[in-house]
Amino acid sequence: MERAVRLLDAGRSRPLPALALALTLVAGGFAAWAGQDWYRAAHDERAGYAAQRDAALSAGEQAVQNLNTLDHRELDRGLDLWESSTTGELHEQLADGREEFAAQVKEAKTVSTARVLSGAVTELDDRAGRARVLVALRVTVEAADGAKSDKDSRMLGELTWTDGRWKLSALGQAPVGGTSTG
Amino acid sequence: MTPTWLPRRAAAPEPGTGAGPDPDREAATEPGTEADPDREAATEPGTEADPDPEAATGPGTGTAAAAGPATGTAPGDAEAAGDAPAGTGGPKGRLRRAALASAVAVLVLGGCGFFYAAHQLRSQAPARNHALTDAEATTRVAGDVGDALARIFSYTPDGTAAAERSASAVLDGRAARQYETLFARVRDDLTEQRVTLSTRAVRTGVIELDGDRARLLVFLDQTSHRGDAKGTGTGKGKADTGATTAAAQLTVTARLDDDRWRIVDIKAR
Repeated sequence: MERAVRLLDAGRSRPLPALALALTLVAGGFAAWAGQDWYRAAHDERAGYAAQRDAALSAGEQAVQNLNTLDHRELDRGLDLWESSTTGELHEQLADGREEFAAQVKEAKTVSTARVLSGAVTELDDRAGRARVLVALRVTVEAADGAKSDKDSRMLGELTWTDGRWKLSALGQAPVGGTSTG
Repeated sequence: MTPTWLPRRAAAPEPGTGAGPDPDREAATEPGTEADPDREAATEPGTEADPDPEAATGPGTGTAAAAGPATGTAPGDAEAAGDAPAGTGGPKGRLRRAALASAVAVLVLGGCGFFYAAHQLRSQAPARNHALTDAEATTRVAGDVGDALARIFSYTPDGTAAAERSASAVLDGRAARQYETLFARVRDDLTEQRVTLSTRAVRTGVIELDGDRARLLVFLDQTSHRGDAKGTGTGKGKADTGATTAAAQLTVTARLDDDRWRIVDIKAR
């Protein structure tokens, strides 16, 4: 008798397949497609690269701003920030010249405040951990007598990925009138 | 087994007995499954499960001869046997249908979840900005915009027309109006003071690139000569020899129009 019931089962399931199978297949297909689409999006190299680019830009802008900001009343804090924002050769230069520079600023009693006007990443090698940024900067210098002066400068920075974050490894002004090509 | 089972099934229609727990019958019809077609059939008379055809199912499949006397109510054995699957199929099929439906629902929901997650990932701000990630487009917009700026801000005392012609080709929107205003103001002075200006984009960085819109930061060098560029002395006491170079920082908004990048806004930084 069990056999008979089995047979019945088999016979009974006959009306289902056509529609149900198609429906299941469509649903399964959709799920599979969406799944691999998500996987691709999640493992998209471009997205990772884009995130690195944005990280490099914000770190670069912050570092450039840090390095152009210094208050003679808070020298140590400012110079510590300089050192923590940099790495490599630039870091060494700053560390080596620290005493001398601190003495100069103390005497001049200036307060420099920098503001980033705009910035862009021009190169990014996320594997090598290197990036270059352009930063347009406005530095306000307040002299000892309270006179303020604004100076706009355009900086070229090079960033290196160090200790899990982007740090400035070189910084300079973009040369003006270097080679005139007309 | 069939003979002992059949008569009992035929007698089953009386209410009460059908619902009663009958180990024999249970074992015979539904070995080890949770759904109990018998009880269902007995408790819901008049629905798709009809006791009589149900009784005929057993014989219907295998022993057609026995089915005749046993059921009696079903005129056509074939018919009864044909209906039977649907009858027994009700509860179990319902279960199966439910399982299938939930499986489909899970798949569809899962798919939607993935779809949404992928969309979320793609629409995140970093991913939408193709600056550098699309190297080709980035180089192109940077080159186009740098060239355009160099052309519109370079002129000789006699050749402002060329700059203005370029401007009408590469500027649009607000930038075009800004440029016109600027030029209207200085055009006469330029000719009078014999100013030659040459502009060069020293560095160009793409801040943002999203499809047909881009924002760039451009560092410009602008070298101006006053007087005759040849340096033959024009009698204006001052500096025909002097060339002064000024640095300019601009953020430029550009739009891709007919496969050409046109500058729509310029802001000095």
